[in-house]
Amino acid sequence: MITGTGITKTYKQRGNVLGARDVQALRGVDFAIENGGAVSFIGESGCGKTTLGRIIAGLETYDSGEIVIDGTPMSSLRHRRRQPYFRKIQLIHQDPYSALNPTRTIHQTLQAPLTLRARQTGRSKGWVDDRAEELLSLVGIDPGYVLGRYPHQLSGGMRQRVVIARALTVDPEMLVADESVSMIDVSMRLSILALLKDLRERLGVSVLFITHDIATARYIGDEGELYVLYRGQVVERGLTETVISGPTHPYTQSLLSAIPVLHGLEQPGPERVVPTEALDERHADGGCLFARRCPFRTERCEIELPSLVRGAEASHEHACFHPQRRSVIPVEAVA
Amino acid sequence: MTTTASPGSGDLVAGPGASTAPGVRVRDLTVVYKTPLGELPALGGVSLTIEPGTITGIVGESGSGKSTLALSLLNAVQSPGRVKSGSVEIDGLGDVLELAGNDLREARGRHLGYVFQAAQNSLNPLKTVGKQLLDLGRSHGVEDQRALVRDAKELLERMGLDGARVLDSHQHELSGGMRQRVGIMLALVLNAQLVILDEPTTALDMITQATILRIVREVHKERGLTTLLVTHDIGVAAEVTDHLAVMYGGRVVEHGPTMQVLGSPSHPYTRGLIRAIPRLSGDTAEAQALPGRPPTLGTLPTRGCVFRERCPLRMDICETVDPLPLSHDDRIVACHAVERSNSTAEHEEYA
Repeated sequence: MITGTGITKTYKQRGNVLGARDVQALRGVDFAIENGGAVSFIGESGCGKTTLGRIIAGLETYDSGEIVIDGTPMSSLRHRRRQPYFRKIQLIHQDPYSALNPTRTIHQTLQAPLTLRARQTGRSKGWVDDRAEELLSLVGIDPGYVLGRYPHQLSGGMRQRVVIARALTVDPEMLVADESVSMIDVSMRLSILALLKDLRERLGVSVLFITHDIATARYIGDEGELYVLYRGQVVERGLTETVISGPTHPYTQSLLSAIPVLHGLEQPGPERVVPTEALDERHADGGCLFARRCPFRTERCEIELPSLVRGAEASHEHACFHPQRRSVIPVEAVA
Repeated sequence: MTTTASPGSGDLVAGPGASTAPGVRVRDLTVVYKTPLGELPALGGVSLTIEPGTITGIVGESGSGKSTLALSLLNAVQSPGRVKSGSVEIDGLGDVLELAGNDLREARGRHLGYVFQAAQNSLNPLKTVGKQLLDLGRSHGVEDQRALVRDAKELLERMGLDGARVLDSHQHELSGGMRQRVGIMLALVLNAQLVILDEPTTALDMITQATILRIVREVHKERGLTTLLVTHDIGVAAEVTDHLAVMYGGRVVEHGPTMQVLGSPSHPYTRGLIRAIPRLSGDTAEAQALPGRPPTLGTLPTRGCVFRERCPLRMDICETVDPLPLSHDDRIVACHAVERSNSTAEHEEYA
């Protein structure tokens, strides 16, 4: 289990013609990911979801807060001692085209980490090849076909599967999938999502799914949790299905309202919310971060920053002074 | 930002020289790319009729030929690609594939507006938007530069931007959504009546995407355009278009009114594609990826139906004969299985 409390991160930008500006990527984020669980971070670009994912995977530092992996606070360990913990968390990159070394065959790509693994666990060399084939079968590709090939000979979907197989070589407890399906052709996207779900069920690995496409978060599996991030703050959190069918924060509602309606199959939700203006990172940080764009803002919103509190249901939290469930997602069209 | 138009602003923007929306007739268009394996067809005899005034979505996965088709409409297929045969008739222009030199340049811009994918790559980073606008005017022999700037400003303001500020900006000072609107402005400012948008919202955030799509729909209506929207995202096409052409392996496999194509898809590829879309409602277990993967130029079968490898309705005839696009009611479908079931249905009707 991995928990984080009060994670903050500020990117300092050096002064240039436009003046120095600090970007607060994360403003005190709390999260908890159970063993075998599925958690999704949702938000637009710049909301901090990728930074948070990289921090969790141990690839980025954070300014304050604490991350606890399986009961061990990371702040209590020296950098080198943290590595075995973070090795349990493997990142799957967005772009399967650049994540694989083009000069290595798939066999070579998998062999390197597996050889290391064999040495650590005292296994024989034969195990390496067996395991490579086993992992490729596990991610749904024919080992005989891909092992001898180079990445450019494979389709995007296959490469993404190879990337996932490579992540599995170190027996991770958690996979961090950062926009892992956005570059895959639409007709095959679901198969990668189904694979992540399947790995969760079969191997018990937990999945941290980072995406801007909320609909895909539903396909990672049951009992998934959704965190909606906005400008570095979690504005809504709850079970994926609960948040999608009954969002209470106006930002979540805007995000869901913006998803295209499949006319002919669906009708737009009756209470769609449209932000009053476009995102401007330079908005003052005084009150609620979404206040300037919120159609429902009041005076209080401009002065005070709402924190994440419990809503009507215990597991459904929101950071809004005027929470209200609205039905914004498309409904099935009646033929 | 609010983009609701004040009454009559549409007429104002349309400006002088606005003509009627053109129709487009693509006939047997074959475009080949030269590769080490020989010339391979990216478009295999595409025929497509776009009615004047419609907003048509061209959807397909990578390698379906949708971008090649869009570029053909501008006669802008570049080496190693080459138009092997066919014609692209556009009302008021004739066959654009016959145009060359100055005539072609005139046609692009004045008649055909093209909005490039993620406009950041199509704007010059060294020049302000205003300077690029004037370049565009000069290359098309616009005499009244002031009027051009005024039109541009009005268009930008219509799309919810501060016109003067945007014209004075370099591309790096604009957000992705703003650049995309600049792209739309540049495509429309010379009063083009046929506008082609190539992946207009890829790389944009959800909320920005929704804004751009609303603008596309409103501008289309106000200026009475014929609009083509090329996208891999069937949701984007569903949101704005009234007609939908689905492409696969260099062919248009289904074409018809959007509501019908989505509501009751005919071609097995369209059916599978719609079932493969992750959606916000409905049973997640029902959604399924299509088996197999889209063909590339190299793996495209040389005869028979291009979709048969992934098709649940595959028959013997699919191995050898490429199905012709046949129209049935408002729909055009290229599939042997659909053809067969349509003809039996008709048979029963007359029986």
